[in-house]
Amino acid sequence: MTTAALVTSRPPRTRRPGGWGIRIAPYLFLIPNMAIFAIFTIYPALNGFNMSLYSSSNGRTFRWEGLGNYEQILTSAEFWTVARNTAVFAVAYVLLATAAAIAIAVLVNAQGRGKTFFRAVFFIPVLVSPVVVGLIWNWMLERENGLVNTALGAIGVPGVPWLVDGFWAMVAVVLVGVWMQVGFYMLILLAGLQSIDPALYEAAKMDGATSWDQFRVITLPLLQPSIVVVVVLATIHGFQSFDFIWTLTGGGPVGATMLMVQYIYENGFQSPIRFGIATAGGVLLFLVVFALTIVNWIVSRRREAV
Amino acid sequence: MARKRMRALPALALASVAAIAVGCAPGQLEGEGDEPQDVQTLAPEDFAGLTLEYMYFTDGPDEEGTRQLIAEFEEEYDVTVELEILPYADLVTSTLNRLSGGNPPDVVRLTGLTDFRDDLLVLDPYLGEDYREQFLPGPTSAVLNDDDEMIAVPSDLTMNGPFINVDLFEQAGVAVPTEWTWDEMLSAAQEVKEATGVPYAFAMDKSGHRLSTILSEYGTYLLDDDGNALDIDRAEAALQPIVEMMASGDMPADFWLGSGSRYQGANEIFLAGETPIYLSGNWQVAQFVENAQLDWTVVPNPCETECGGFPGGKFMAAFEQSENPALAAEFIRFMNDAEQQETFVTVGGLLPTRVDLSESGVTYPDEAAQEAMDVFLADLVDTPEEAFESNGHPAFSASATALVDELSTVVAGQKDLRTALTDLSAEIDALVEETTS
Amino acid sequence: MSETRLITTGTAPKRTWTSISRKPVRLSDALRVVVLTAGALACLIPLLWMFLGSFKTPTELAQRPPTLLPESWGLGNYTEALSRFNFVQYLGNSVIVTIAATVLTLAINSMAAYALAKYNFRGKNLLFLLTLATIMIPLQVILIPVYQVVASLGLVNTLWGMIIPAAATPTGVFLLRQYMLSIPDELIEAARVDGSGEFRTFVQIVLPLCTPALAVVAIFSVMWRWSDFLWPLVVAQSEAVYTLPVALARFNAELTVPFNLILAMGVVSTIPVLIIFLIFQRQIATGIANTGIK
Repeated sequence: MTTAALVTSRPPRTRRPGGWGIRIAPYLFLIPNMAIFAIFTIYPALNGFNMSLYSSSNGRTFRWEGLGNYEQILTSAEFWTVARNTAVFAVAYVLLATAAAIAIAVLVNAQGRGKTFFRAVFFIPVLVSPVVVGLIWNWMLERENGLVNTALGAIGVPGVPWLVDGFWAMVAVVLVGVWMQVGFYMLILLAGLQSIDPALYEAAKMDGATSWDQFRVITLPLLQPSIVVVVVLATIHGFQSFDFIWTLTGGGPVGATMLMVQYIYENGFQSPIRFGIATAGGVLLFLVVFALTIVNWIVSRRREAV
Repeated sequence: MARKRMRALPALALASVAAIAVGCAPGQLEGEGDEPQDVQTLAPEDFAGLTLEYMYFTDGPDEEGTRQLIAEFEEEYDVTVELEILPYADLVTSTLNRLSGGNPPDVVRLTGLTDFRDDLLVLDPYLGEDYREQFLPGPTSAVLNDDDEMIAVPSDLTMNGPFINVDLFEQAGVAVPTEWTWDEMLSAAQEVKEATGVPYAFAMDKSGHRLSTILSEYGTYLLDDDGNALDIDRAEAALQPIVEMMASGDMPADFWLGSGSRYQGANEIFLAGETPIYLSGNWQVAQFVENAQLDWTVVPNPCETECGGFPGGKFMAAFEQSENPALAAEFIRFMNDAEQQETFVTVGGLLPTRVDLSESGVTYPDEAAQEAMDVFLADLVDTPEEAFESNGHPAFSASATALVDELSTVVAGQKDLRTALTDLSAEIDALVEETTS
Repeated sequence: MSETRLITTGTAPKRTWTSISRKPVRLSDALRVVVLTAGALACLIPLLWMFLGSFKTPTELAQRPPTLLPESWGLGNYTEALSRFNFVQYLGNSVIVTIAATVLTLAINSMAAYALAKYNFRGKNLLFLLTLATIMIPLQVILIPVYQVVASLGLVNTLWGMIIPAAATPTGVFLLRQYMLSIPDELIEAARVDGSGEFRTFVQIVLPLCTPALAVVAIFSVMWRWSDFLWPLVVAQSEAVYTLPVALARFNAELTVPFNLILAMGVVSTIPVLIIFLIFQRQIATGIANTGIK
């Protein structure tokens, strides 16, 4: 970075022992942001956790349940179906989104002409409202006359029961989810790619490495930090997906694509309102995502150290 | 050592905050502070300058009617009415929030009185004990609480019934009768389908409410005043044709399965001319009048054991915690007075709940609309009281959803109809207990 | 770029039967373009349908098999959708909230990021972890408690109620912190030694160096606040304060869903963010490049 030139060549001085200004500076810098976190996220979250120990049907009067809500959730068959669906979706989504984002980022990066165009095009789906995304794809995936099956039919592939078969509905949901977000992850990876020194590729080429070798030995390892960020974000997005799935499949067919946030939503905001159950479900979801993220972080720290 | 102690500090701080937060109840505990509210005595002349918040959801055409009436109210009483329009699901969310914060809106429009039952204002002291007699007995039964007091006013009615694609019937040379049984109706539909080559013979909205129409005509209901009222034999007879049609392709099964728990109306299928018969309700009339490019009409519901259709409707209610309950009650009374309700239902394409209006008939702006609405109105008279009871039960909404879910499992081939209905009955029992305890 | 390095001196530009460029088209290049174009089509076609559909009438939309082009390009759907609610007011609110929230976000996120990146104080890691954790809490869990807090602060039904709570974006802090980690400590030390106060150092030295990252956070913030639905729903109570996404949700919940109006609203909601993205996209790529994710 050219900013290096700005460093003067003074001899290092010993730090002046605490002007109080410098001691409290970090706290002052932090206060506005953390205050808002504390007031509008953390305190309500604690309250939310508290609320999961009660039951309510109108948000105003509560009845103590202790761990009753959790007991009810963890022993209901519906919850375990939903939990399994969520896990399946999240894993498939994270794997596919990360792989696709890496592939697209590498290809776009290598592209000379039209690079800006491709970069923009892949990002546009991120900007469309998830509700509208679900509606559009619901239309396009219709078995009889949807655009997708018509196109498949044109190349001789029989129509797929996208939204009416449990397995294919999950496939559709994963694919649409990836479609909607891959541009976001691609952008993060593109940046990471730009920080890799081209000279490395030159050297590899001189040694006779193929493109695939270069990708495997240079690109992937050096891109690892960006990949970790993408995986963390994708995990969070994966577990919290709801909007587009609601308009795409409504959780169907017969609950095959009903995920955790839909479960929370239906219990919390549809008659009969079971607000305690909804909040308890939310707490469980949070704990799972939190645990996964910590694991992710620790694993990546270890790899970096190595 | 010092470092370890220091690291523990923030964790300790967090833990203590958590403990404090957890120690307190998030709101009022059930059973506490349930003293009856004092009746506010405020004469209408004193309303001037006050503000009223009306939380509303719209199905399209009714919004204009509401705004018109609000303008009249504002002028007459010199008050400001703030109309908040939200999607229904979000209206529920918003109400939950505001109740928890202690500032609910003054008046709200609801489709069901299940969830906020305990928070609604008892209207008898403000509107008089005889007020309920101005309204049809069916819808009124839904607004009475355990003490036989009014906690809401039925503001409009909907009625389910079959729409006919006249073009297709003519093309097939099949006559449209004015009364028929389910068998007759479905075989006529089959005939038309075969003669004209359209994809389906019959379509209906994916809704337990619509399915209840069929159940009602076969003489069984999901609920009655005492709870679960499902007669499994009759329900099986009622729904067997539906299941068979979905299996054979005469009804769009994809439509039923492809939208999961989300409500989906089949009006598009009807508008595209793909089905000769479509079971829906009177709220479609306004849209069809404007958008339909085919010749359509409404016929009376088929009779099996019973005639008539299945009702639905909306309610206007006020909250106990409202700042100006007298004003809220007066607003509700105003909006449901004969003249105002007439304006509301004619503009919105809805059916009246008032006795005087349903006896004298209502004039709708469009001739085609008039014809259709008259058929619905006639069916309203034929509809058995049990249908109103079923629809008005607090557990109805959830039971209807359960019915759709169970039927979906049958359509998807996961269960047979009888098992599904037995399971449904058990679910209804559980729901009744949950919502009436 | 690697392309230029491949040209050895002394070679005249070759004209072959199929290419005029300096080097023959390699199979891998062609393949790459094909794959990228296929992907681009997969991204664009659904959006194209949204655009075409926004001009169709409900009957046209109901046709099976579906029609491609609308019968008329009239703006009927748009005018009807926009007339159903006070479009100008909602748009105004969306704009005000988005801009104010973004400015606030940039200010407080950058300060918090600076503290987490450039100082070593106790509890730093715990705070960072806490920040990360807040991304993961589903909003439905905290909806009622948040409302209670907002109500007790008197922020209900105000634009500030929509601007302030959402401004402390954890992702923003995350990205800015990564970027600031790569700013050499010597620069900051030098400024301190020169007698500059902490805040002045921050504003005059650190912030200007962060412009790319700030641009990134700004764009993401605009994106998120513009399409934010749950926050405004919680806070807003009267028409005067609603934002555009509420209008879109409202259409979706009507008993006979007007798909034509929803598509029109979808287009209307996407265009402003699209324009902003296209203007700033160069910044994004270079910006994230240096969020230190190296």
